[in-house]
Amino acid sequence: MRARARLLLLLPFTALLGVFFAAPLLLMVAISVSRQSFGELQWTFTLHHYARFFSDAYYIGVLWDTLVLGAIVTVASLLLGYPLAYHLARTRSRWKPFLLVAVLSPLLVGIVIRCYGWMILLADRGLINATLVERGWLAKPLPLMYNRFGVAVALVHVFLPFMVLSLTGVLKRIDPHALEAAMTLGASPRRAFLEVTLPLSLPGILAGSLLVFSLAISSFVVPVLLGGFKVQVLPMIVYEQVLSVFDWPFGAANAFVLLVISIALIAVYIRVTERALRGIV
Amino acid sequence: MILRAAVGAVYVFLLVPMVVVVVAAFNSGTFFTFPPQGFSLRWFANFFARREFMQALRLSTELALWTAVLSTLAGTLAAIALVRGRFRGRDAVNAFVTSPLLLPQILTGVALLQFFTLVRLHQTYWALLIGHVVVTTPYVVRTVTATLTHFDLALEEAAQSLGAHPVRAFLEVTLGVIKPGVVAGAIFAFAISFDNFTLSLFLTSSRLTPLPIELFAYLKYSFDPTAAAVSAVAIGVALVVVLGIARVLGLEEFTGF
Repeated sequence: MRARARLLLLLPFTALLGVFFAAPLLLMVAISVSRQSFGELQWTFTLHHYARFFSDAYYIGVLWDTLVLGAIVTVASLLLGYPLAYHLARTRSRWKPFLLVAVLSPLLVGIVIRCYGWMILLADRGLINATLVERGWLAKPLPLMYNRFGVAVALVHVFLPFMVLSLTGVLKRIDPHALEAAMTLGASPRRAFLEVTLPLSLPGILAGSLLVFSLAISSFVVPVLLGGFKVQVLPMIVYEQVLSVFDWPFGAANAFVLLVISIALIAVYIRVTERALRGIV
Repeated sequence: MILRAAVGAVYVFLLVPMVVVVVAAFNSGTFFTFPPQGFSLRWFANFFARREFMQALRLSTELALWTAVLSTLAGTLAAIALVRGRFRGRDAVNAFVTSPLLLPQILTGVALLQFFTLVRLHQTYWALLIGHVVVTTPYVVRTVTATLTHFDLALEEAAQSLGAHPVRAFLEVTLGVIKPGVVAGAIFAFAISFDNFTLSLFLTSSRLTPLPIELFAYLKYSFDPTAAAVSAVAIGVALVVVLGIARVLGLEEFTGF
C-alpha cells in the first residue's frame, strides 16, 4: 500500500484522537499545574495542587483505600475467575456457546444496571435480607450494602469477565500433554496443577490482574451506588472537585495521579501480554 | 466435582444480578422478596409514561446509531491501513489508536469536559457524540483487524490481475471478507455507546441526558422497580446485540477462543 493512501486511511481517526483525546489530556495536565482564582484559570505554573494532595492525610487515606479496594477486587476476581477460565478452556460441552454468552453478557449490560441488580439483592430491604428476616432466620438485616463489602462484590461482578477472558486465552494454549506427562511420571493431579499448569498460566494471571486492578481503581459508579458515599475512592474526589466544587486545577491534579498509576499499569500490561503472545514465558 | 460446583456457583454469581433485575421489573410489589408477589406490567407502564425516560431513550438510541456509523467508518479505514504492509512507527500508531480503550474513562471524561468548556462546545450534542466516537472506535479497529489479519492479500491481487480496478478489487473482494468484522464492530460500537455511563456523565446537561445517566439520577433518589423496567429494556437490547454478534462472527472467533 502506498504511503499516501495509508495516510489518507489513517487520517480521520488519528486526527480525531489528536484533537479530542491527546490534546484534552495534555490540557488537563496543564490545568493541574496552573492557578485558579474566582473561577478563572490563570496560566501560571504551580505545583501547589500536588503538594496539597500529598500533604493532606485525608487524600492520602482515600488513595490508600482505593488501592486496597483494587487489590481486594483483583484477588477475589482471580479466585473466582480461575476455575471458570480453566473449565471454559477445557470443556468440549455442547453448551460452550451458552457458557461464553453467560461470561460475556455482563459486559454488554450497562454498569448502572448491574449495580442496580446488586442493590436489589443487597439492600437492607433487598432480596437477601428481606427473605431472611421474613422467615425469621435473622432478627435484623445484615449490613451488605453501603460499605466496602457491597462495593467489592459489585466491582468483582463488573470486572470478572475481563479476568476470565485474560486467563482463558493463556490456559487454552497450554498443551494438555504436559499435564498428562507430569501425571504419568507420578505426580498427583494437585502437584501436576501446581507445578505445570499454574506456572504456565502466570502471564494470564498477571495480565488479568493488572487489567482488573486498573479498572477497579478508576471505577466511579459502583462506589457511588453501592457505597452510598460512605466508601470514598479517588475517582469520586476527581468528580466532586471538577463538577461540584469546580476546583479544576485540584481535580485535574487528582486525575493526573490516577493517570500516572494507570499508565504505569498499562505499560506493564502491554509488556506482559506481548511476551505471552510471543510465547516467551 | 468440586471444580464443577465452583464453576456453577460463579456462573450463578455472574447472571444473578441481571436475572433479579428482569424479574423485579415484572413483579408487582415495590420491594422484591422471594417468592415474587405477582406478575405486573405497571413498572413498564410507568417507564413509558415518564417523559424524561422516553426522551433519554430516544437520545441514547439516536446517539448510539450516529456513534456506530461514524466509528465504523473511521475504525475500518484505520484498521485497513494498520494491517496492510509494514511501515515505520506502525506499533506506535497502533498503540495510539487503541489507547482510549486502556485509559480509564473517568480521565477521558474530565479531560474532555475541560477541553469542551474552553472551546465553548460543552454540554452540546456534538461534544457527546465526539466523546462516544473516541471511546468506541478502538473496538471497531480491533474487530476489523481481527478479520483482516487472516485475509490473503493474494485474493485482491488476483482480482487486480484479472483486470479489476484497485478500488473495485478492494470493494468487491476485501470488503466482502472483512464484512463480519465491520458488522460486529458496528454492533459493538452501538452497544458501548448505548450503555456508556462514565464518559456521558461528564458531557451531559439537564437537557441532554442519555438513558444510563437518567437511570443513575433516578436511582439516587428512588428505589422503585421503574428502574428495573428501564433496565429490562436495556438488557433486551444487549441480548439482541450478543445474538447479533454470535450470528455474524461466531462468538468463539470474536473472543479469540
